[in-house]
Formats: sequence, structure tokens, C-alpha cells
Amino acid sequence: MKTRIRFTILSVSFALLGAVIISAGVTSCKVPEAIAAKSGAQLWGENCNRCHNAPDPRTYSDDQWDAACEHMRQKAILTNAEIVKIKDFLKSAN
Amino acid sequence: MIAFQTLAMGIFGLFSFGVLKAQSDSTAQNPTPDPPPNKARGGSQKVLLAGKASAMWQSSEIKGSPSANSFNPIGLMLMPLVKINERLFLDAQIEVDANPDGGGASVNLNELIIYYRVAPAINLFAGNFSPKYGIFLGVLDDFTNRYATSPIGMGHGPQTQTGIGVQGGIQVGYSKLNYQLYVSNGPQLTVDSSGTNNGVLNYGNYTDNNKNKAVGGSIGFLPFSNSSLQVDLSGQYAGKTGDAGTAFENISSSSWAADLNYFHVFNPIMVRVLAEYNSTQTQNFNLYTDDSHTSLLVPQFNNLQTGWFAGATLRASGLKNAVLSNFELGGRVGSFTAPKDAMWGGNMVNQTTVCLTYWFTWKTPLNFAYDVYTQSGSPTQTAWVVRSIFFF
Repeated sequence: MKTRIRFTILSVSFALLGAVIISAGVTSCKVPEAIAAKSGAQLWGENCNRCHNAPDPRTYSDDQWDAACEHMRQKAILTNAEIVKIKDFLKSAN
Repeated sequence: MIAFQTLAMGIFGLFSFGVLKAQSDSTAQNPTPDPPPNKARGGSQKVLLAGKASAMWQSSEIKGSPSANSFNPIGLMLMPLVKINERLFLDAQIEVDANPDGGGASVNLNELIIYYRVAPAINLFAGNFSPKYGIFLGVLDDFTNRYATSPIGMGHGPQTQTGIGVQGGIQVGYSKLNYQLYVSNGPQLTVDSSGTNNGVLNYGNYTDNNKNKAVGGSIGFLPFSNSSLQVDLSGQYAGKTGDAGTAFENISSSSWAADLNYFHVFNPIMVRVLAEYNSTQTQNFNLYTDDSHTSLLVPQFNNLQTGWFAGATLRASGLKNAVLSNFELGGRVGSFTAPKDAMWGGNMVNQTTVCLTYWFTWKTPLNFAYDVYTQSGSPTQTAWVVRSIFFF
């Protein structure tokens, strides 16, 4: 019974999430100005530090950052806007 | 004995310190004021061979028994990351572990995932992957783990498995959402007439043992605009876990987990708080030797496993002193409850951990940890652990 309740909650949550994704896609949900204005350096500090220390931008070459950032896009499930800005910031040190 | 442990720990610590210091000093002693241009060399494929080498020294003691200590495990993991083009990406993990009994090593393909980005928030993936299940496994079980050892309550639910899925991250106003949905071969039920492992689920299967597939997913919510807090809910359901055609084929299993990850800098102190609770329930079954169900080999038990942990670390990252700012102090508590009546189960085990970490670089930690395990009806077990990781 408990299992059924848990999975009902989980199913409802996923249904709500689906609705959010669809509505976001359909209405092109506008990103607040303060969020859109965040720099790559700010996003680097906020997102990378969540799990590990923010990486030294001098660690990798541009090509290597491309691969590393794709890895983190999937590992941390970052938004596209975030990873594009963070990658540009990391490459700027080279 | 305590003196020997302290000495051994000290030697290993000094060795690790020396090697790590040499690594960090090589940058300081050979400054490159005008580094060569590190730009792209052309070509559309972008490759990074990342990975890590790790070494650990452990000394454990069960109250009333002689202590044991060893340098173990020592391992190497390679992570080929290949950005094939703007949409295709390959992510793999190949682990090489030294044989604990000496001689040779074992090589395992831990992960092999191909991603295809359909749209900014829709990424398809296929392969052998670690599902988003809780906050520890697949996220904080690496150099990101500031406690050297794993929380005892983790690793008992969904682990790396083979299948396909979709995931993505979405900005919703000032908050963010991320999601993952997948279908996989799912866990395989162990049916063991000796009872030793009867009812244990095995996730590391490349080929399925029945036609049923497990479904799972997770939802992450980051309510604050600075991404300081993330809360996740994740789960997996497998309708059939037993071998096809057997009386155990229809044994189902369900798992769910809830977790939070909080990070913030209250200058000069950096605070991290982590917590997770997880639960895996596998359907009960009797194990008989015959179809008439008269000869009972292993009686059924409530096959429920639950685990949790909560921990926090402090680091004075805002200090100007380069040495002091690299220390991070952590404390963690947790427990694991296995099925009480299973031969592989027993009473709840509690774990308390304190750990001091020194960060030589952003990805090179040296951890000194002390673990205490207590279990009703069993003697207390303690362990000193020194671990170093070179992530590259």
C-alpha cells in the first residue's frame, strides 16, 4: 500500500513536470532579467561549487573544456544557457 | 597497536602530502607567465581523457578483537569524454582496481553513455549509466566525497544499469528544475537455496533475465536564484526481477529516495549540507525445492532496506591564509537497516564519521577520517582512514 502511494506521488510529480516542460516550450517562458544577466563567472561559482570546488579555468585547453562542459551538462543536468556561459568563461582564461 | 596505527597513518599522510605538495609546487616553482596559446587546434571532435588515481590506508578495529590495517584499495579510473559534434557526446568510465589478494588487476567498464541533444532541455541517452538516484551515488561518491568513506546507507538501491533515457534542465522563473526518466534492464533477483544471498538484487547486468523493463526517474528542484539549494525526489520500479520462466519471475521491486544538497558561502566560511533517505522494497517470497511447495528451503522475510545520512562541512575558504583556507572539516551521521530476518540482514547499523580534508588543488583532496559503526548486539567497530585522490 505504501509503495503504491509513493509511486502515485512520484507519477503525479512527473506529470506536473511534464506539464511544466510542455508549457515552457509552448509559451517560451520568459527568463527574469536578473537571471539572464548573470555572467559566466557568477554561474561558474554558483553551479560548480554545489558538488565540487569550482575548477581552475587554466586546467584544460579550449577543446578539453568543450568535452568537460558537455560532461557536466549531463552529470549535473545544467540548463543550456548556464553551460554555454560557464564554458565561455572557462575558455577565456586560455 | 595504537602507536603503530598512528605511525602508519602519519607515514602515509606524509607520503601523500609530499607527493601532492610536489604536484602543487610544480606549478608554483615553474610559473608560466606566458603560457602557450591553449586554443582549439582544429577538427570538430573534442576529446578529454580525464580520470583519477586513488590510494587509501585503513585501520579498523572491532572492540575486543585485534585490529587490522592495510593500504587498500588502490585504483585507477579513466574517463574518455568525447564531444563528437554539437549534439553527440560520449561519456565512459573504465576502472582498474588492484587485486586485493595480490597479483594483477580487474578492469571494469563502469559506465558507457552516448548522449544526443535534441533540444536545449531534452537530452536522450543510451548505454550503461548511473541513474539519478539520491545525491550520493554517481554524484558525491568521487573526489567530491569529503568524508573519504561512503555513507553506510547508500548503494543498496538502483545502481549502474543498462538502458535508455531522457534528461534536461529548465529555468522556470528564478527557480530551476531538472528531470531524468529512463527504462533499463533493471535489477535481477538472487535466488539462493543456501539462503546466504536470497533476495538480494543485482543491478550490474548487461543482458536482461526477463522481458520486463524497469522504469525510473528523478525530479530536482532548485528554488533559489543562486542555485544554493537542490532537493530531489527519485525512484525506480521493476515489475519482474526473477529469471524468466521460474516461479520467481514476477517478484517486483520498488525504490525511492529523497535528498537535499545545500551550499553557501557566509564569508569567510563555506558551508555544505547534504542529506539523503532511501528505501528499497522487494516483494517477499518463499523458496521451495519442489512445485508442490512442501519442502521449504528459505522462508520469506520482509525484504525492505532503508538507509539515510546527513552531513555538513565547513571550510574557511574566504581566509587570506592559503593553507588554512584549504582545510575542510566535516561531520556525518547515518544508518542502514537491512531485512532483519535475512541471512544477509540483521539489526540496524549506525555510522558516525568525522573527517578533515586538505585541498591541494580544486580536485586533489587528502582526507583523514574516523568512522564509528555501532549495531545492537554486536561490538563497536572503529576505523581510521587516510585517502588521497589525484583527479586529472
